[in-house]
Amino acid sequence: MSHADLAVGGHTPAMEPSPFAIPAKKLAMWLFIIADTMTFAACLVAYGFLRNATPDWPRPFHSSTVISVMVMTFILVSSSLTMFLGVRAARAGDRPAASRWTFITLGAGIIFVLLHIRDWGSMIGEGVTLLKNPWGTTLFGAAYFSVTGIELLHVIGGVTALIIVGLGYRSGRYSSDDIENCGLFWQFINVVWMFVLPLVYLLNIAG
Amino acid sequence: MNAAEKQSGVGKYLVVYLCMLVIPALEVVVAYQHIGGSQMLLGMLSLAIIGALLGVLFFMQLATEKPRFVLFVAVFTLFVLATINYGWTDSFRLLVGAPFAK
Repeated sequence: MSHADLAVGGHTPAMEPSPFAIPAKKLAMWLFIIADTMTFAACLVAYGFLRNATPDWPRPFHSSTVISVMVMTFILVSSSLTMFLGVRAARAGDRPAASRWTFITLGAGIIFVLLHIRDWGSMIGEGVTLLKNPWGTTLFGAAYFSVTGIELLHVIGGVTALIIVGLGYRSGRYSSDDIENCGLFWQFINVVWMFVLPLVYLLNIAG
Repeated sequence: MNAAEKQSGVGKYLVVYLCMLVIPALEVVVAYQHIGGSQMLLGMLSLAIIGALLGVLFFMQLATEKPRFVLFVAVFTLFVLATINYGWTDSFRLLVGAPFAK
């Protein structure tokens, strides 16, 4: 039965009100974020379990790595602000400003990805792989690459979404709601980084 | 965008942004302190939770959503935290054989 068939006497059928009085797409994004929180929680708990249960867990990070991850943190947190400003402009109907802030966020995301890959490259250069490393338990490489890898995968996903939605919004294909949903996901990536930074990097600084 | 949102500037959000930059810096300070591992973990997790809350409430704008929706998100988040708590307890059990093993 089509939507038109449901209309009676020229009136559209009564629709059930949106749960929590927010748009359905936004609710779907929040549900996805909550589900994704479980994914990250599982990864971080598994990491915490390994870190806690392994006596010879390596602490390989030196001040150069700390500076690198702090630069990455600065870029990601700054991109949260620019994404917020983009969403705000989109909701106000200021399409040029919303596009500008969205593409600035996109640029920051690309820089973050490149720095993250460079960080991985230096770790691989030191002999760390999924199955071995020169310092201690072999589990370190698997845990490090899994947790940071899933974060990196999300950033790459966010960058891809920003490209598609940003270009679509500029051409009029997507609405401000789509920018807002994209922004929610981007902010979530930043929130997760707040936990990845201390647990994976700062707790493993060489003493 | 409602009228209140239009009128409010970005000042509040700049403060949130600065706080979210200061929190990782504080975590680095904690990381270089000569304190026990559990104290360090507690300190860093506390700071991380504050940073995450700022991000969720202001940049994800949960603070301006309907109370029912905030409750919905909070309940599910607490469920996640309870799951984490269960996982940590189990990891300690496997490490030191307590509190369940005799």
